[in-house]
Order: sequence, then C-alpha cells, then structure tokens
Amino acid sequence: MKFGIFYELSVPRPWDREAERTVYERALEQVRLADELGFDQVWCVEHHFLEEYSHSSAPELFLTACAMQTKRIRVGHGIVVCVPQFNHPVRIAERAAVLDILSGGRLEMGTGRSATWTELGGFRVNPDDTKKTWDEIVRCLPKMWTQERFSHDGVAFSMPARAILPKPYQKPHPPMWVAVTSPGTEIDAAERGLGSLGLTFGGFGEQEKRIAEYRRRIKQCEPIGEFVNEQVNTVNFLFCHEDDATGIATGTRLSGTFGYLAAQLLSTREAYPSRSYPSLGLLPQLRREQTSPGDAPRVPEGLCIGNPERVIGVLRNWEAIGVDRVNFLLNAMETVPQEEVLASMRLFAERVMPKFAAAPAATAGGA
Amino acid sequence: MPLAGTLDLTDRVRTAPQMPNTDAEPWEIEGVELLHVSYEIDDRHMTSVLPPALHPTIPPTVYFSVARYPDSPVGAFMLAQVRAGCRAATLPRGFLLRAYTDSPRAAEALAANWGYNCDIADVRLNRRYERIEGIVRVDGREVLNVALLNPEPISGGDIQYVANMNLARLPDDNGRGALIQVDPEYRFHRADRGRPQIVAFDREAWHARDVDPVDPIVASCVVCDTGFPRIRYVLDPTVPAMAGTRKVGG
Repeated sequence: MKFGIFYELSVPRPWDREAERTVYERALEQVRLADELGFDQVWCVEHHFLEEYSHSSAPELFLTACAMQTKRIRVGHGIVVCVPQFNHPVRIAERAAVLDILSGGRLEMGTGRSATWTELGGFRVNPDDTKKTWDEIVRCLPKMWTQERFSHDGVAFSMPARAILPKPYQKPHPPMWVAVTSPGTEIDAAERGLGSLGLTFGGFGEQEKRIAEYRRRIKQCEPIGEFVNEQVNTVNFLFCHEDDATGIATGTRLSGTFGYLAAQLLSTREAYPSRSYPSLGLLPQLRREQTSPGDAPRVPEGLCIGNPERVIGVLRNWEAIGVDRVNFLLNAMETVPQEEVLASMRLFAERVMPKFAAAPAATAGGA
Repeated sequence: MPLAGTLDLTDRVRTAPQMPNTDAEPWEIEGVELLHVSYEIDDRHMTSVLPPALHPTIPPTVYFSVARYPDSPVGAFMLAQVRAGCRAATLPRGFLLRAYTDSPRAAEALAANWGYNCDIADVRLNRRYERIEGIVRVDGREVLNVALLNPEPISGGDIQYVANMNLARLPDDNGRGALIQVDPEYRFHRADRGRPQIVAFDREAWHARDVDPVDPIVASCVVCDTGFPRIRYVLDPTVPAMAGTRKVGG
C-alpha cells in the first residue's frame, strides 16, 4: 500500500491579501515534508467557484511548484475536468505533458467531469453531456500524447491534424485515472483500463463491493491508453497523534469542517435532475458522515484519525478490501495548526508507514 | 465559515403562523401533481433572504412550486410556494418565503399543523403539450406565472426535492419563532423536465423583496404520492442550525 496527500486548498474567510497565499505556502511546506518522509504522491484537484471549500482552480501550477521543490514524490493532476467549456482537450494534453517534463516523469493524470452545479452552471455546461464529453476526451488524450499529429472529428470538439507538443516525458504516457464518486463509475474506469481514483470517504462494505467489481471488469478491458493502470486509489483524512483521544478529536474536527464546507455547495443532482448524475457524488456521502443537527457525534467509519495503532488498524481494513493507495487530506480551512499537521505527518511516517510493504511503482509501460 | 442568513426576523415572527404544538398527524396524499421551477438569484442579497440559522446555497437559489393535491383531510386544494434555497448545517433545505392556496380550510390546517405562511389566491396548474405553467392570482392580479417549457420525460429517480423550513410561532419559542422542518417523502409515478421560465413574479406578494431571479436552472413536473409528514425537527431561527436544532415528536 502506498500513501499520498491530497489538496483541495480550502481558504477560510475573510479573504484578505494573505489568506490564499498562506494556504498555498503551508501546503507547499507539507509537500516538501511529504517528499522527505516517503509519501509517494501528492494530488491536487481542479475546482472553480467553490467558495472557501476549494480555491484550487489552477492545479497544474501548484503541482509544478510541488515538482520544483521536491525530488521524488509523484504529482497527481486530479482530477482535470474533461469538459470542453472548462478545458480544451488540447490544452489538457499540453499542460499535462509540460508538467510531466518539468517533474521528470512524475505525473499521474486524473480525469473527471465535475459534480457540482456551482461549477457546471458557472461554465454553462449541460449536465447531461458531461459523461459523454469526458469519455470522448479521455480517449483522445493518449493519442494526443503518442501520435506525432492528431486530428479529431467529434461531438465535444473537432480539430484538423496538428502536432500537439510537447510530448510527456514518461513513455508511452503517464498513468491515467478517473475520479470515482457515483456508483458505476468504477465500471467506467475498469472498462477503459483506467485507475480508480476514489473520492468517497469511509464505508468499508460498499467500497469492497465496488473494488471487487472493478478488479473483475478490468480483466477484460479495452484500454484507451497504451497500458492498463489497474489500481485503486482512495482519499481519506489523516490526523495521527500519540494520544488517541487527541487524534480523534482533532481528526473529527478536520473531517467535520471539510464535510460542512462541502455540504454548502450545490450538487448537480440536487439542482438539475439528470441521468448523468445518478448519485449525489461526494457531497451527500459527506453529509451522511456528518452528524445531523441534534444527533450525538460519532467517529465516522474508515477514517485515519487517532493514534498510530488505530490508524494502522483502519488502513489494514482498507488494504484487505483491495485498496492500493490512500491519499490524505491534511487540513481544511486551516482548522489544524500547521505545526500539528507536520507533526501528524512525521508520526505517520515513523510509526504507520513501515507497517505497510511497498508495492511496485505505478509507472508507464516501457518507462 | 460559510455565509449565514442575516434576515431581520422581528416582523416575520410577528406575522408567522401560530402553531399550538408540533404533534400534527401526517397527511399522505396520492396523485399529487407538482411543478417545480428553480433559478439562481442575484447574489447581492444572498444572505438577506434567510434567517441566521441557515446558510445560502452557493450559488444562491430560489424554488417556485405549484402543486395540485387531489385529496386530503380538508379536501382537494392547490398550493403554491416560493422558497429560498439553503442549508440547515449540512442539509439541503428551502426556506419558505410565502405560500398561497385556493382553499381556506387548507390554509388554516397547513398553518396550524406545519407552519405554512399561507394566504388565499387563485392557484392554477395547467399542463399543455409544449408547456406546463403555474399561475397565482391575488384578487385578480397575477403575482406568479412560471412555466416548464418543452417537457421531456425523465426518471423520477433522478429528482430530488428539498425539505421545507417554515417560520412559525410555537408556545415555547420564547418569542424567537421556530423553523419547522417539513420533509415529505416522494414516490414518483411520472416526471418531466424542461427549461424554466418566469413570466411574472411579484416579489412583494411573496415576501421576497430581495429575491431577484437572474439565471434559470431547470424545471420539473411530477405526479407523485407525497404529503405532509409528522414533524421531526424544529430549529431556533436565530442561531446556527448545528446549535439550535431539537428533535420533537419522539
């Protein structure tokens, strides 16, 4: 099992001149430490208009800074919103290739389509179309990276033959993933030979079924890229502390703050009934994990919060149901002081990481 | 933390429905026809339409609904509502600004049992081939005319309607008023979706002076079994929902 860190870059009000810069600077400090401690990857989302929840609209820039300040940690561009109103597909391929070059071949390429009306409405996107445009674009990216010239006549976009440059450093191309929140998207990932980048928290039972189905279906996939990336990546919260009660209290505050923020956003299905969004995505999952007003608080299942022994136990469960990688959210709204975040990372690296054997690295075929 | 409502409740509480208790028996009604139209609203007033207990959605939203209830303990009635989209802590809700019904008996029962601020009007729901429209007239003056254009069938399973937060007065609310959570279930038999349209919206008639619809989202129209449930939660409108929510009715 491998471990990474995961950024939404949430910024609390008031948004004075230093607020966003502070969040970005602290995140970069965490990434540098993660690189030193042996975390395998850092992921950063692409979001737009999501007040306080995520001020990460240009993740390729943040990840470039990460790459420039580290030596070994892989950089996860994810997910890139594969919706043409957000990103022209050519620009997705170009930016990813540059990031792969500048990082020395450390790019992991996550793809997705956005789950909020806040974002889709902001770009005037019809929610009915996003699954189709994602599918079209994600099939084009490997061709853009591997063919000398690329042309396309599609629905999401069309273009005459052009050389899309530069090409990625990893050959034939970086590992590709798809964000999995809605039930069934893990099947989309499997059928295309893509890694499953799970974005739901907790819930061993449901996750185990979905991972098993992913493993079964990917055996017969028709890969859209040059190789199959059979891996299951999940996201979690991390707050590790010698004192279990302190770890749980702080970790619960972290996860609760994140969930509270996420719940303020307008999910696509809540706003716009569409077959394209059969579940409510990450947001209602988080709502379920939150205690309802008036209910007694509880520790959500599957979260990596508490002392090292508790965190090891939770990760053993994730490992047992087939998870290959776990990426951790370290903070939300700066609710955890930076020194405590760094101490938590150090404790995790010292006491938890050694308990999990390293799996073979996910590298591009032939790289 | 997220933005919260800033609505001055002084006048609203004074004119809110007086509920004797929160023990009303539920109404379950079959074959309800419901038109639901949603718009984004001007964000300059996104907090001023909500009480401090509630957060605005991002982006801020307004929901118009016009429903035909073919039967109930007080007989058939029509009900039109305008609600501001919001969150009670983490949960999606619609804060009722005002409602109209064509039935005095329904107005009285809905106010006393579930806190609906409900006046009498001529409420119509007209289904045509190319549009489904909801129209409300007060003393002959059109105060609401919203429509779903070019309906196309969809699965009812794709629809999510949010629960109401109705401002009312309770005997034990210490004069602060109370937000009554009304969260009916829906069993859909038919659903259509289409482009929304506002032909007329008299904001003053809906206690919605600051609600300025600027961007259409979607309209849906359903036939469903739904109703008015047993009240489960009551909120203090003046403090955040996480702190001011209490369970009622066992």
